[in-house]
Amino acid sequence: MSFVVEASERSAAARFIRCAGWVAAHFASIVALLVAWELFARSGAVTMFMLPPFSAVAERIWTDAIGGGLWVNIGFTLYRTFMGFLLACAIGIGLGLAMARTRSARWFFDPIVSIGFPMPKVVFLPVVILWLGVFDVSKIAMVTVEAVFPVITATMLGIQCVGDELLWSARSMGAKDRELLWQILLPAAAPQIMTGVQVALPVALIVAIFTEMAMGGFGVGAVMMQSSRFADSRGVFAGIVEIAIVGYCLVKGLVIVRHHLLRWHQEAIAPSTV
Amino acid sequence: MKAALIRYSPLLILAVAWQLISHFELVSSTALPPLTQIGGAWLDLLTSGELEKNAAPSLYRGGVGLLLAIGFGSVLGIAMAWWRPVNVAIGPLVEVFYPIPKSALIPVTVIWLGFGDGSKILLIFLGCMLPVIIGAFNGARSSEQVLVWSARSMGASRLRMIWDVVVPSALPDLLNGIRTALALAFILMVTSELIVAREGLGNLIGFLGANGSYAAMYAVVLTVAFLGFAADRIYQLLMHRALAWRETAAT
Amino acid sequence: MTSDAQIVVDQVSHRYRPPSGREVLALEDVSLSIQNREFVALLGPSGCGKSTLLYMIGGFLPVVAGSILVDGKPVGGPGPDRGVVFQHFALFPWKTVKANVLYGLERTQLPRSEREQRAQSYIDMVGLTGFEDSYPSQLSGGMKQRAAIARTLAFNPQILLMDEPFGALDAQTRSLMQSELLNIWRRTPKTVLFVTHDVQEAVFLAERVAVMSARPGQIKALIDTKFDKTDPHIFKSKAFVDKVDEIWGLVRDEAVKAQASRRQ
Repeated sequence: MSFVVEASERSAAARFIRCAGWVAAHFASIVALLVAWELFARSGAVTMFMLPPFSAVAERIWTDAIGGGLWVNIGFTLYRTFMGFLLACAIGIGLGLAMARTRSARWFFDPIVSIGFPMPKVVFLPVVILWLGVFDVSKIAMVTVEAVFPVITATMLGIQCVGDELLWSARSMGAKDRELLWQILLPAAAPQIMTGVQVALPVALIVAIFTEMAMGGFGVGAVMMQSSRFADSRGVFAGIVEIAIVGYCLVKGLVIVRHHLLRWHQEAIAPSTV
Repeated sequence: MKAALIRYSPLLILAVAWQLISHFELVSSTALPPLTQIGGAWLDLLTSGELEKNAAPSLYRGGVGLLLAIGFGSVLGIAMAWWRPVNVAIGPLVEVFYPIPKSALIPVTVIWLGFGDGSKILLIFLGCMLPVIIGAFNGARSSEQVLVWSARSMGASRLRMIWDVVVPSALPDLLNGIRTALALAFILMVTSELIVAREGLGNLIGFLGANGSYAAMYAVVLTVAFLGFAADRIYQLLMHRALAWRETAAT
Repeated sequence: MTSDAQIVVDQVSHRYRPPSGREVLALEDVSLSIQNREFVALLGPSGCGKSTLLYMIGGFLPVVAGSILVDGKPVGGPGPDRGVVFQHFALFPWKTVKANVLYGLERTQLPRSEREQRAQSYIDMVGLTGFEDSYPSQLSGGMKQRAAIARTLAFNPQILLMDEPFGALDAQTRSLMQSELLNIWRRTPKTVLFVTHDVQEAVFLAERVAVMSARPGQIKALIDTKFDKTDPHIFKSKAFVDKVDEIWGLVRDEAVKAQASRRQ
């Protein structure tokens, strides 16, 4: 039986090497992309206005970073993103749980969820502004409204898929209802719930940025829109690069959280891109 | 029929609650106009032609962008799955652009193409292409090896084989990708018009809001929301038809 | 029906309604009594309701028609007096083997050190020494089932309910596990109700085999299967082979009936 243990040790080392190689290859392609960008921008095929060279954009980001403005704006955006995201997770998991386990909750919320999902919920932003004003509250509310949906459906799915046998085993070992919920149901559904959470965070970021573009008031989105109105193309592209980096970090951060939380799962792979 | 009624009855309850709350001014009726008032405003917009005048450009932009995205995206995705060089060239691009919020491209498209139709079509095209490429790619990758070999052993050329085997196998993933793109098209259409537009449904919403005609604003908001929902439902129906030969329905 | 039997099933029927379709009668007037420390196998074709009966004894399904008494008291719900082992192990995947085994011990009033000791001794008993800190996803099928058995034995239930526990294992592992189960049962004698559709397994493991009919399930026959199970050539002994044939004859008709009703 010891071959099971040896194999996992060997593969851990192999995995590390493969991982390092993959990271290098990944960054290589991004570096290649940036080089291509720079060359294409300078080639004259398009004006420097339409496509500022990467070096100019990087310089702008650097200036903003030194000046402090960059951090303020990213801070605002992240604040709104995370507030909405955390609210969405709390509400989403709670609702998803209720809908999976209680018939009446399921009946009441199901049409709302199933109709709400394919709807462009951002269209309700003017209504949200009407109710909650023009500051952060409405931005956070909008983020929550959008991000809550994937969490609800993922939680519902996860909880529904928990096998009876797990619950029965626990009950036959004397577990009470409350213990069943926290000790068995939620951990068993954790992989699916985590997937929903992983979908919700980028959504939260997007919506936060969109609300900033629409409403102004600091934040990466607001600055980008301002740059656009002032025909400041470097500012616009700087914003895109910043968003890309922030988004990438957030997604990767969640992948690490998932790997840690779900290390017992059969090498669960996070929802992949391509 | 009865089942559908039971299923959607919570919405009826909410609608009734809405009407009562706003009627009895439990909430200020500017913030929450009664449904009847909203209905009236909607009819006004319809009869005055305002609704069509704005719906047309919106749907035009969304439609064109989406169709272009589907066309280019499916071809690219399948090409990426079957020809290594294409994958190597385009793969990193997809991976880089995938996590970028597509709405973030709004200021860029505005810089490039101004405030008119062009920038919005470009935005929707770029944004929607991604889920289509990914769907097509995953779908093409998953075509069973056995089916491919069968086709080849019966003498199909590479191109023919792709058409006969890969595309049908890829259909479920591809159609799901298109479904995502459809929803995204609505979102991008609305968001871009809420921020910068001369006409269009999003622009109309902003205009009515700034004007204080809240009932009419609600009317258009609900119309757009409903359109997005209806489009998805109709698409789902068509999708199930197209995939009827599959034993298990993929949702 | 002797009154000192540990489990008494009396005229139990069970109906259920599948999501699409009409009500199904799963069990019809089933009666069975199982003595203390007896090893009984429930044998029957797929869909005959044997698992359903097991779940009712376990307290997971309500008893609406008829009665089930355990130690003289009607079954109210699941409890630590009846340990269950499922076909797909039902180990908690987010807990290590040791944590899984400890879970059943948490509700006993034992002090912590003793709980840990007991858990370890059962892990050793099933032959999983060294794998206490492994997660179920890292174990093979046979090892998972051993962990499940250790977990169920650890809190010392008087009754063991096993629902085709070796059904998900390959033939060789299954054969090994059968012998091990008998060893364990000899060392810590408990009342065992073992559900299976494998005739040889039933005859080898059990002292009595209850043959069930196709749906709606009823007890068709009760056959004594006491042999000298320590005989290494038992599978070839004439007595054994004859018994298997006899029971297989009973089961085959029911299996054919079950097939036919499925085709409708």
